[in-house]
Amino acid sequence: MPVAAGRTSAASQAQPAEPSRFSLSHPQSRLAWVRPAVWLPLVVMLAVLAALWQWGARRLPYLLPSLPDVGRSLTENPGYYVHNALVTLGEATAGLGLGFAAAFALAVLTSELPIVRRAVMPIAVVLNVTPIVAIAPALVVAFGFGPAPKLIITGLICFFPILINTATGLRSVPQEVLHVYRTIDAGRIEMLWHLRIPHALPFVFAALRIVFPLSIIGAVVAEMSASGSTRGLGTAISVASSMNQLPVVYASIFVLAFMGVTLLLAVTLVERRALHWHDSTQD
Amino acid sequence: MVGGLVRFPAWRSTELATHALRPPGSGLRARGMEGACKVSGTPALELQSVRRAYGFGHSATVALDDVRLTVRPGRFVSLIGPSGCGKSTLLRLVAGLERPDRGEVRVHGVTPAEACAAKMIGLVPQSPALLPWMSVLRNVTLPQRINPGAARRRARIPGSTGRESAPEIPSMRELLVKAGLGEAMHKLPAQLSGGMRQRVAIVRAFGLRPDVLVMDEPFSALDEFTRESLQDQLLDLWDELRTTVLFVTHSVSEAVRLSDAVVVMARNPGRIVETVELDLPRPRGERLFGERRFHEYEALVRDRLRRAWHSDAA
Repeated sequence: MPVAAGRTSAASQAQPAEPSRFSLSHPQSRLAWVRPAVWLPLVVMLAVLAALWQWGARRLPYLLPSLPDVGRSLTENPGYYVHNALVTLGEATAGLGLGFAAAFALAVLTSELPIVRRAVMPIAVVLNVTPIVAIAPALVVAFGFGPAPKLIITGLICFFPILINTATGLRSVPQEVLHVYRTIDAGRIEMLWHLRIPHALPFVFAALRIVFPLSIIGAVVAEMSASGSTRGLGTAISVASSMNQLPVVYASIFVLAFMGVTLLLAVTLVERRALHWHDSTQD
Repeated sequence: MVGGLVRFPAWRSTELATHALRPPGSGLRARGMEGACKVSGTPALELQSVRRAYGFGHSATVALDDVRLTVRPGRFVSLIGPSGCGKSTLLRLVAGLERPDRGEVRVHGVTPAEACAAKMIGLVPQSPALLPWMSVLRNVTLPQRINPGAARRRARIPGSTGRESAPEIPSMRELLVKAGLGEAMHKLPAQLSGGMRQRVAIVRAFGLRPDVLVMDEPFSALDEFTRESLQDQLLDLWDELRTTVLFVTHSVSEAVRLSDAVVVMARNPGRIVETVELDLPRPRGERLFGERRFHEYEALVRDRLRRAWHSDAA
C-alpha cells in the first residue's frame, strides 16, 4: 500500500511507499501547466478560500487575522521571518540528515543480516508508534535548550519512513537479476552497490518526499517544546501566541508552509533527474 | 483414446531407451535416460544421480530424482518436458543457484560454486533482467567488472576453456553490433522492444565468454517472428563462440532447430527419460524449416514428449 506524501500517521508510515515501475518520460506532459484547464481550478479554489478567510476574519477578528494584516506583518519585517526560517530550516535539514544516515545504514544492515532485522525492526516499530511530541519535553530536559534535542526529535520523526522504505527497496531487486549476478559470484558489496542501492532509490525518494515536510514539523515541535528556545519559527509562533499577535502567528505558519512546499519541490526536482528512468518521475 | 491423444501405458524411463522409435531409414537417434554421450576428457557438464526435493516428509515434492546427464564441451543441448518436470531446477543446479540433496553436479570438473567463482557460467533467464537505469552498453559490460579475481581462478581450472585460449574474443561493442544492437547501444532498456532486451541479455551472457551458458526459456515471452529472429542471432553468436549451452524450452521446433541434442524430461518425479541426438547440418538457417529431416526430428521429439507427459498422467 503506497503512502501519500505528507501523511504522518503511524499506520501509514508502517507501510513502505511503493514506487511504480520503470519507464521513460513524456516531455509534452511537462507543458500541461500552460493550459488554463490545469491551473485555473487551483486559482479559483485559492480565491474561494481567501474570500472565506476574509469573511471569517471580519466576523471573528480575535481568532483570525485578515490576510492583509498577515501580509503586512511579512512585508514590514521580512528579516525577522527569514532569520527564524533559516534557523528552523537548519534544524530540520540537520535532523533529517542525521535520521537519514542512521536509517539508511540500519536498512542496509537489516537487508543484509536477517538477525539484525529481527532485533531492530520491533524496536523501530515501537519507536514509530510512540508520539514524538510526548518524548520532546523529556529530550529537552535531558539535552538542554541547545540544538541537540531539536536534531534528535527531527531525526526520530524522519527515521522510520526512511528505514522502512529503504529496507523494502534494498530487498526489491528481482530474483532473476540476482540470479544473473550470483552466477558470476558477485560479492555482497558489489550486489549492494550495483544492484540493491540503485533499485532502492525510487523507494528512498518516496520516503524523502514524506520526510522533508515531516522534518519541518519535527523542528517546530522541538522549538515549541524547548521553552527556553529563543530562535526559530516554532519559537516565534509560541511567543506571538502568548502575546496574542495573530498576524505574526499566521505569517510564521505561511512561511513554514512555503518552506515545506519548497523542500518538496526540491526533492521532486532531484528525483526527476536521478530517476529519469523510472515511472515515478513521470507526470 | 484420452483427450484425443493416444494414452501410452506407464513405463519406466530405462525401458524407454530400448523402445525408442526410430523412423525407418531416417537415421534419427534416441538415447536412454542418462542423456549421456561417451565423453573423452572432462565433460562440460556432468550430473550424477542428482536428486532435489522441496519440503520435508510426506509433503515433499521431488523436483528431480536420479538425474544423470553428461554434456561434452561446445554442445548445444536443450531440455524439454512438461511443466513441473524439473527443467528449471536442473538449470538452477547447474548454475549453482541451488544445491542437490543427493548426487553431484560438475561443471568442467569443478562444483558449480567454483565454476561461478571463476565466471565460467553465464545465465540468460526468462526475463532479460536488465538494470533499467543503465544503458545497453553499461548493462552488458557491468558483469565484466564484477568479480575481478575470476580470471585467476579460471586459469587454475584445467577443464575451463580459459579466455587466453579462446580464438579471439569480440568486444562487447562488436557483439552488440553483431546482435543488431549497434544503434541501441546507448539507449535505456525501457526504450527497447522485448526482443531487443532479450538480445541484450544474450549478449551480456555471451560477452563473459562463459564455458557453460544456461538459458531458461529466454524466448518464451516473444512472438513467433521475433523468436525466430532471435534464434538466428543466438545461433550466429554460438557458431562463433562455441560455448556449451544448456537451453530450457517448451517449443519442440525451437529445441530441434537450435540443438545438437534434446533431453526429454518427465515429471513426478522430475527425471530424464530420453535424449534425442540431432544430426542436422549447421549453420541452421531458415531453409532448415523446409527440410524433411527437420520435421522428422520434430515429430520424434514431439512423440517422446507426449509419452513423457502420459507417463505422468498414467
